[in-house]
Amino acid sequence: MSDVVLDFRSATKSFGGLKAVDGLSFQVYQGEILSLIGPNGSGKTTTFNLITGLYEPDSGDILLKGESIAGLRPDQIHRKGISRTFQLLRLFSNMTVLENVMVGTHSHTSAGIFSSALRLPKMRREEVRATAKAKEILDMFPGRFSGGRQSQPAYSLSYANRRRLEIARALASDPSLLLLDEPVAGMNPAETREVMEQIKDLRDRGYTILMIEHDMNVIMGASDRVIAMDHGVKIAEGDPTTVANDPAVVEAYLGRRGADAAS
Amino acid sequence: MANVFSGMGQRLRQAPRWTFSLAALVLAITFPLLEQAGLMDTLWLRLGTRTLVYVLLALGLNLVLGETGLLHLGYVAFFAVGAYTTAILSSPRLGYHWNFWAIMGLAIAVSSLFGFVVGFPTLRLRGDYLAIVTLAFGEITRITFNNWESVTNGPGGIPGIYPPVIFGWLVDKPIEFYYLLLIAVVLVVIVLTNIKNSRIGRAWNALREDEIAANHAGVRSMGMKMLAVVISSGIAGLAGAIFAYYQQFINPTYFIFMQSVIVVCMVVLGGMGSIPGAIAGAVVLDMTPEVIRQVFTNWLPSALGPDFLPQVQTAMQTDFDRYRMLLFGIIIVLMVIFRPEGLLPNALWRREVHEEDPREAEHTRQRLFDFEEGHKDLEV
Repeated sequence: MSDVVLDFRSATKSFGGLKAVDGLSFQVYQGEILSLIGPNGSGKTTTFNLITGLYEPDSGDILLKGESIAGLRPDQIHRKGISRTFQLLRLFSNMTVLENVMVGTHSHTSAGIFSSALRLPKMRREEVRATAKAKEILDMFPGRFSGGRQSQPAYSLSYANRRRLEIARALASDPSLLLLDEPVAGMNPAETREVMEQIKDLRDRGYTILMIEHDMNVIMGASDRVIAMDHGVKIAEGDPTTVANDPAVVEAYLGRRGADAAS
Repeated sequence: MANVFSGMGQRLRQAPRWTFSLAALVLAITFPLLEQAGLMDTLWLRLGTRTLVYVLLALGLNLVLGETGLLHLGYVAFFAVGAYTTAILSSPRLGYHWNFWAIMGLAIAVSSLFGFVVGFPTLRLRGDYLAIVTLAFGEITRITFNNWESVTNGPGGIPGIYPPVIFGWLVDKPIEFYYLLLIAVVLVVIVLTNIKNSRIGRAWNALREDEIAANHAGVRSMGMKMLAVVISSGIAGLAGAIFAYYQQFINPTYFIFMQSVIVVCMVVLGGMGSIPGAIAGAVVLDMTPEVIRQVFTNWLPSALGPDFLPQVQTAMQTDFDRYRMLLFGIIIVLMVIFRPEGLLPNALWRREVHEEDPREAEHTRQRLFDFEEGHKDLEV
């Protein structure tokens, strides 16, 4: 297949005696949607936190386009091209919708304290560019963030729009890898379908996406490949149908008796 | 009649924001002229000058407390550093008599550097821990000035600070200090407004709203927090330098912990994260107690005869400072009940506090839920 964007090389992370991620290895390829599935506590979010630098792996390595990012701070990793959304929303509630997205451009702007304090022409040009970028990203969600809504505080948005705004903020830095942690959690079926189409549309625009998801319709409908995890290890990998029918996966979700009954 | 008033309120709300700034500036410029025209006691001019020092402090602290969300309880330490820098370099104490501009630059630089030194170990801490450690640093600073007798003359303080000469103009009258401070306030407001509307201001706000999300959006906690602390320390140093010149005498009792608390109250009262709010908070909190004192000791007795509540008059005259803190408490309690978002809040915050529509109420509920869920998404 094509280029490897992220190479997760037998990374391990323990909390006390619990190995949350245990020698997990996988690759994410350019332009695909890879879904990470598994029961609660199987280590999916820990994997995300390792990739984004919230945790440092105890052993193993994580490479972004061939360059090791293990041990870097979250802001450094963001600068290198990985951005994410969170399972429970983490928006800047008291900032406007537009400002939320503009924070996402922080890594790609450079105005220092003096040019900001004096509003030097360079800073003003950069500000115009960042605003245009943020508006362009918001326009990728047609009708959701139009006109006056951009200057409203983020907390005034509906739940689904807040989830969309988080994705928009993550896109503002033109990431080479986008991590989505349960993007449709808490959405109704219509909203779920819409977000799923949106995610596929992002892939078609060239974004590479790694997502954690529980909704089977989204996993089957959107992902190019699926990796199933349990107890911190990979138990299956492949196209959505193969993984969903894998006996080990069925057992992880339903237990041995459930797996026997299903087969 | 009611219609006329509501119509007026409507029109006031629609007026562009700069009209309010202009009105406030005109008011501030004309204020000392009342004294010059003999319409006002010099007492009020002195009070106004002190208020402007507090305005500078509130603006500086707002950067850390309101914009970046760091509870800093030792802010007066940087004010003290600026004041002592000036007092040492421009008084007979050690025999120095430096130029005004050199002292201004040095006072700002030294207090910023001190902010950096204090910030380096403390900014890794969050919330209450940061508050406790900064409080301790504030006290350490004051005690150091109190005990470093060879330089600061300890509790005796440094008297006889030379008045500054600016472009050949000797500044030694209250009205001159008033305008000097006003110029400083205007410059600081311009600079802070510009930074607030830049990527740096947005990064500060993002850190205040959600530090983890801000980090994952590319904002480096340490660098951005340090920048806020250093700039705000510099503003406190500037205020301290002018204050020392104006007082002509300083000693450690000017820099007690209570001063830090008062400035925090000003920021909270005015509305956190709002520049007009910080100014309004400082003006109201510094002036109200004095107005009340005048009401009881002068205006009411002269209107109702000298027999009006003689005990209250005596109390107000002799130990007013005790009642000042009582008044502070009352003002803050009233604020929390009737206007929790502050006097002139950031437009976005006002709506959140008042929950005007059900969607916002839903949001608050969701936030409470998120809060109770805590950092669940950070766990395994």
